[in-house]
Amino acid sequence: MIRRLQPALVALASLAVVAGCTGGGASPSPSAPAATTSPSTPASVAPTATPAPSSNLKIGVVTDIGTLDDKNFNEYSYKGAVAGAADIGAATPPSIVPKDQSEYATDIQSFVSQGYNIIVTVGFNLAGPTTTAAHDNPNIWFIGVDQSPICVDTTGKLDTTFACKGDAKTLLPKYISLQFAEDQAGYLAGIVAAAESKTGVIGAIGGTTLCQPCNRYINGYIEGAQAQNPSVKVKVAYVTHDFSNAAFNDPVGGKNFAQSFISTNKPDVLFQVAGKTGNGVLDAACAAKIYGIGVDVDQYLSYPNADPCIITSAEKHLQSAVESAIKGIAAGTAVGGDNRFDATNDGIGISPITNVTLASDVQTKINDALAAMKAGTLNTCPNSTCNNVAKSTP
Amino acid sequence: MTPPVATPAGRSAGAFARAAWAAIALPFVAIVMALVVGALIILVSELLVTGRPFQPTLPLTAYQALFVGAFGSFDGLVATFVNAAPLVLGGLSVAIGFKAGLFNIGAQGQFLMGALGSVMAGVAVATWPPFLAIPIAVAAGLLAGAIMGFIPGILKALSGAHEVVTTIMLNYIAVGVLAALVSGPLKVPRSPSPVTYDVGNAAYPIILGRDGHLGILVALAGVAIIWWLLYRTTWGFEIRTVGANPEAARYAGMHPRAVIAFTMTLCGMLAGLAGTGVLLGVSHSMTSSFGTTVGFDSIAVALLARSNPVGIIFAAILFGAMRAGAGLMQIQAQIPVELVDVVQATILLFLVASPVLRALFRLRGVQTELGSTDTITRTYGGEAVR
Repeated sequence: MIRRLQPALVALASLAVVAGCTGGGASPSPSAPAATTSPSTPASVAPTATPAPSSNLKIGVVTDIGTLDDKNFNEYSYKGAVAGAADIGAATPPSIVPKDQSEYATDIQSFVSQGYNIIVTVGFNLAGPTTTAAHDNPNIWFIGVDQSPICVDTTGKLDTTFACKGDAKTLLPKYISLQFAEDQAGYLAGIVAAAESKTGVIGAIGGTTLCQPCNRYINGYIEGAQAQNPSVKVKVAYVTHDFSNAAFNDPVGGKNFAQSFISTNKPDVLFQVAGKTGNGVLDAACAAKIYGIGVDVDQYLSYPNADPCIITSAEKHLQSAVESAIKGIAAGTAVGGDNRFDATNDGIGISPITNVTLASDVQTKINDALAAMKAGTLNTCPNSTCNNVAKSTP
Repeated sequence: MTPPVATPAGRSAGAFARAAWAAIALPFVAIVMALVVGALIILVSELLVTGRPFQPTLPLTAYQALFVGAFGSFDGLVATFVNAAPLVLGGLSVAIGFKAGLFNIGAQGQFLMGALGSVMAGVAVATWPPFLAIPIAVAAGLLAGAIMGFIPGILKALSGAHEVVTTIMLNYIAVGVLAALVSGPLKVPRSPSPVTYDVGNAAYPIILGRDGHLGILVALAGVAIIWWLLYRTTWGFEIRTVGANPEAARYAGMHPRAVIAFTMTLCGMLAGLAGTGVLLGVSHSMTSSFGTTVGFDSIAVALLARSNPVGIIFAAILFGAMRAGAGLMQIQAQIPVELVDVVQATILLFLVASPVLRALFRLRGVQTELGSTDTITRTYGGEAVR
């Protein structure tokens, strides 16, 4: 057998290469956040009497299905946890990437069994398992990314009928859900889009009409664009009306959809609000030589394919939100319940402008809008209508 | 492949051991080699990823955590069984197809439809007493799976449409139907994200530890029933005969078309029952991302077990253990979960390349072919069954 080993090793080496290629088969990971319908709870300061020795906190992250380096929710939430751990002097957090929806609860339980103190769970799909885990483990802090509103019955248990009669903030005081003001980020992107449009027609493509954060992005975008140029025409379309793969995980479908959108509506700036499907939208924008606007994270960095045409991205600051939640827990200032991240706490913003140079009055307008959002004098979601499905302007 | 034969009284223990080795040598060597490949990949990626000190023992740390996570505690063991249960049923589904010369790639779609049927029925009867609610939800899952199996079965029987093609297409249809229903009519109206109501009383009861649900027993019962069906009934004999040689079966007075339609329906029921188990036993409600890999892992389980119903239990436990231990492996060794995919895929690669393994390790006298795969290749021309 020994003399046979040498060819065996050669065979192994080549197999290793082949096998390595099979490892990346990622499952879908909806990049659209969960909707938020309840009023906000600012991440305010409310000192509690639990000052833990910071360096001893054990932090773990359970992501959604997919991969850790998805250039999106999983990745930036995890980076936030790493940064937060570094800030408070805790060990670098390990992560678990579930393979299947049925694994969420056991993966959270793995961290619970190992005595972890802070467990970050990423994405609305984990809202149910996280709520149940928070109820069963009242001494562990849970940070849920995009899981608002936390929906519990009056005993603090997960309410699967979504009547949401219980007050999560008091019943599950250690469950922090991070929600974002997407409409504000969309508003800022809208100003840029209207200012850079030469034809006066701009566009936005959402993943699915069921995604309320997408609606908030686009409605805010329309508001911002009209504030910059009242006569601007905003064309809006959604790729699909359900939560199938086509909504957020189908770049090829997104590109096709955007190509026909562009040829029909002739926009010269296109805002994508469709996760990875939207990466295809940006590809189509670049191919049609019009400007693209990214979403959620700075896509100039996260999606270099779109670098030739991307002018900015409407961001929600996932990373800093997770980081600040961890710091809040360590400092004893964290509050459970829905924590809103908006302009007042730097929870949203737009990425540095690329490919174009903003006129100075546009930059002033953006700064003014941000200041007004912080001051509370600019409402980008009048009467909460920004949660509704966005429609093209007449 | 071969039906278990009772050892003749006069046979020595040594002969029995040789026969046992002959049966398991190839899967065993494939698993060991796959672990070796996994270890090499860990070491190579350590070298490529900068910023972390090189630890030569990291593969051992990873495998140790994988093992401890899967078998090192009572909860871990239960998690292994819970993960194995749907793979047992899915493996049986694929295996019984192999026996009839059918390659059921549609286990994934049948799995999803079974779960969908169960959640629809389960939600409807969620407040009924469990002794009524559970059978109704299970029956709905079986029915939904059966329909998903019957369609390719009848298409093959009537027109010769190859089941590999039709079941792959049906897998896509299943994913689309599930997404549409879960984000449409089945969605809890007030929920911001697509999720169905809870199945309530229709959930499988917990029988073992914290998470060990009834589905574990259902899977074992499935093995017993399928073994009995295959080797102790006329139906089973017909299935195996049709798989071995449809022409001969027809000449002997059997009806290959009927057998094929029946077998595919049975495949669908088994895979559907796997989906039912995950839904009623673990998740209790359905999101649009439900069920990702069980259907495809089932094919691997059936191949690894060579379609032997009892072997499927062990193959499923192996794959279930890799799932159950993956969490601890990620926590303790910080090895990405993809390693489990690599090891699983490499096991299959070695099995499919079994002549290579036999030559390398001089596995003389062991069963090297995947008995069922030559049946598949034989039928894979798309020849019409008459």
